[in-house]
Amino acid sequence: MSVQKAWGELQKMARACRIVVDTLDVLEGAAVPGITTKELDRIAQETIEKGGARPAFLGYRGFPATLCISINEEVVHGIPGPRRLREGDIVGLDLGCVVDGFFGDAARTVAVGRISPEAERLTTTTREALVAGIDMCRPGKRVGDIGHAVQTHAESHGYSVVRDFVGHGIGTSLHEEPQVPNYGPPGRRERLVPGMCLAIEPMVNVGRPEVDVLDDGWTAVTRDRSLSAHFELSVAVMPAGPWILSEPYPYAQEGAEEVANA
Amino acid sequence: MPEASGRDALLVEGTVRELLPNALVRVELASGARPAVTAHVAGASALLRLRPGDAVIVEIAPYDSGRGRIVGRR
Repeated sequence: MSVQKAWGELQKMARACRIVVDTLDVLEGAAVPGITTKELDRIAQETIEKGGARPAFLGYRGFPATLCISINEEVVHGIPGPRRLREGDIVGLDLGCVVDGFFGDAARTVAVGRISPEAERLTTTTREALVAGIDMCRPGKRVGDIGHAVQTHAESHGYSVVRDFVGHGIGTSLHEEPQVPNYGPPGRRERLVPGMCLAIEPMVNVGRPEVDVLDDGWTAVTRDRSLSAHFELSVAVMPAGPWILSEPYPYAQEGAEEVANA
Repeated sequence: MPEASGRDALLVEGTVRELLPNALVRVELASGARPAVTAHVAGASALLRLRPGDAVIVEIAPYDSGRGRIVGRR
């Protein structure tokens, strides 16, 4: 069972998540054709440190960078390097930081220049799936309800959700109990209680759900090399419903009211 | 950063050597260096059809390498 956080702890969580999402905003602006992924990693680290935080991924189980960059058919955990972004790429940026002992974790998939309608549809659907998952973060719901909402939304658009990686509790370490799969039957798994913090992160593929991890030991790609998108936010379960710790909801308004009003 | 959803267990190939009581099966692993394991059948119906000599896939627990579950045929 995940730790229930006290109000003061939630404030610290919110601070960490704020820095992560602010940094993602900077990175989204910097993700233009021609920039190397290594350069984005450098920007990520500088921005996080300027915000008074420490990168959470650097050194985590040996991960060599601040930022996970996953381009096109790469699902998650891509390692920054000399590769240059190209017009039409969709780029997953996944970032975490620690402030005052508490972790923030968030990710988004951004477009480099103009992207194909299919890529556009995929990223929109994945973002909507995230919203659907977040909307389940209420006391009395269960972890399985989150996964079910995400899976139902993604599959209703003809996509598949990745099974091999899951969302997670978050707090004084990057990964805490419980695991939060993006699939499965509703009404199962752990009961949600106020003060729980969860990182909800749908990974959605155009093709089949299977993924392979490349020889670098990190980069996960779709086995059929179809496009994949990934969005993530850290959320606290509150008595009145979900609290996106990096408030406000960072994306275009569609879906935002859904969470606010539901 | 998503967490790997752990199936901690190791999947290996093997051959059925002997049917034991209590729905257990002795399986000789294809990588001959390792000793045979005693394996449960995952799913009772599959048990009825298992015969010595059948090629199977065994999931071995991370904690006790002498035990496993037969999860499929090869």
